[in-house]
Amino acid sequence: MSKNWYRLDTAALIFPAIARRDWCNAFRVSAGLYEAVDPAILQRAADDMRRRFPFYFVTLHKGFFWYYLEETGRGVQVHQDYAYPLTFMSSRELKRNCMRVLYYKNRIAVEFFHSLTDGRGGSIFLCNLVARYLELKHGISIPKEGLICDWNAAPPDEETEDSFLKNAAEVAASRREEPSYRLHGTREARGFKTLTTGIVDTRSLLDAAHRYHVTVTALLAGVMAESIIAMQDAEKPRRRQRPVKITIPVDLRRLYGSRTMRNFSLVLNLGADPRYGDYTLEELCSTIYHQLCAFATPQNMAGMIAANVQPQQVVALRLAPAALKNIVMDAVYRKSGESGGCLNISNITTLPLPDVMSGYVERMEFIIGPQRSYPNNCSVLSYGGKTYINMIRSIRESELERRFFSRLVELGIAVEIESNRR
Amino acid sequence: MYCVRCGVKLQEGEENCPLCGTPVWNPDPCEAQRSYPDTLPRHHRESDLPGAVAFTVICVIAVLVTLTVCFKLYGELRWGGYVILGIALFYVMAVLPRWFTQPRGEVFVPVDHAAIALYVLYICLKGGEHWFLSFAFPVILSSCVLSTAMICLLKYVRGGRLFIFGGFLILLGGFTVLVEFFEHISFGMQMFRWSLYSLTAFGVTGLFLLAAGLIPALRHGLEKRFFF
Repeated sequence: MSKNWYRLDTAALIFPAIARRDWCNAFRVSAGLYEAVDPAILQRAADDMRRRFPFYFVTLHKGFFWYYLEETGRGVQVHQDYAYPLTFMSSRELKRNCMRVLYYKNRIAVEFFHSLTDGRGGSIFLCNLVARYLELKHGISIPKEGLICDWNAAPPDEETEDSFLKNAAEVAASRREEPSYRLHGTREARGFKTLTTGIVDTRSLLDAAHRYHVTVTALLAGVMAESIIAMQDAEKPRRRQRPVKITIPVDLRRLYGSRTMRNFSLVLNLGADPRYGDYTLEELCSTIYHQLCAFATPQNMAGMIAANVQPQQVVALRLAPAALKNIVMDAVYRKSGESGGCLNISNITTLPLPDVMSGYVERMEFIIGPQRSYPNNCSVLSYGGKTYINMIRSIRESELERRFFSRLVELGIAVEIESNRR
Repeated sequence: MYCVRCGVKLQEGEENCPLCGTPVWNPDPCEAQRSYPDTLPRHHRESDLPGAVAFTVICVIAVLVTLTVCFKLYGELRWGGYVILGIALFYVMAVLPRWFTQPRGEVFVPVDHAAIALYVLYICLKGGEHWFLSFAFPVILSSCVLSTAMICLLKYVRGGRLFIFGGFLILLGGFTVLVEFFEHISFGMQMFRWSLYSLTAFGVTGLFLLAAGLIPALRHGLEKRFFF
């Protein structure tokens, strides 16, 4: 019987092309339970997920013209976590599985190669995996509502659609952007990634954001921009500085009412140019908030979608071999893919789990790996009244984390720090 | 426990603040709660092992075929030596780095130059000529020093790319003059037949890049016009 296969969605096309021998774009979602994880039951739960989420149990292959995903006949083998999150996914591993299910003590984690889905899709999968695990472990019945689906049902077609193609404008928006300041430092040996988790009370974070009349994302981006501006100030004179911009992914499902479980988000680079003068934190937060409001509109995002969709509709480009496309996409990515921002702040806000699950799930986290050209990244998820701010880095220096979390403390937000640093 | 410098709350058992490294004084020491195990992944980087093995097999077969053909036809190596050393040169330059997970340019560039020097030495000796020490060796050595220095600067010096490329181009122009000089002393050829043209071209381009590095307005103008 031939296996089902899927074309990569518009956003996913870039990820195999830009992968390196020691880097690929991946992210992790994890849930911390109140009890130790049973790997055998987790394996059964993961196997059960194949029926509902077949599009995540796939392998990555290179066709003559494009990469494609093919359903794997084997499922995914759960195994114990490593010393750091998001260890390198080699091309050999991606030919076996594009997703990992990991456990350690009371944590269940799922790591995705970004071609499969984005943070939203990944977190929905994790919620369902944890729900099935709890059903198997404790024999409880979890209502199939909200984020939780019937694991035994087949997925609707709309979950596998490429929503980019449906929502592109006729005219593409410009990709042109001035390069941002580049964070840098001493690379860790053997690809080690240091994760620093700041746990804050969601209520106090919201209160602080409301004091500045902005959202939590804008507040965190403002504090981050302020920290980076201070670091750049310490490094070079103002006239030689570069803009400080934070890359903020926008979940397009809300804008266009899509239910796709594949990638459907785009990023905006928002921030300020320190060459033009000093900014207070309030001004930074306000600037970022208003930029976010102005740019994250269906019309503007449709233009940005078109900029991604249109090149793949050019017949000459479609007919080019995948190897040639890789070179072109890599060059485009190097020029404009990451240069516009200093680091990501990816906030997937809250994950509302059914009440019956909250007695078993202590915490939820979301972690994105460092980008190819910049060493720091930040991801945020709120659950159970706490917000987990995960800052990951591939360098030794923790200057950015120190400035960022200390500033939150100065704003009156109590921060508890955890780290995998050794 | 709180860090006295950052003001953040730390996990029980932490010895230093993960943010600033400030030592934590803990009157009631306990073992730190580890959120990650010690297990490191087996591979943190892919080596191109299948490619390296395939190319090695192809090179070995090519060498064996050459040896067989030469000894069957002539009973000696004859042109086979050039072919075999050519294959060895290709192997060192293109296949050898594939065995390594992190091939370093500053190591492989001198190795490649050494391989080229050996090949050229073989050609020189086989032809019974004496231009290796007076021409080939200094030229290859200068090229090796120039390219290794360029790689090291690009790798270990942050920023200043325009200065590095500008300086490299000027030195490249100087290198062409050096090549002609060695040509002159080895083969008695006339000096400055062609190298002044390349020196001028490389020198002007290099100076232009240096100027772009020094003058922000020029640099921004170039960025604006040649953005792609």
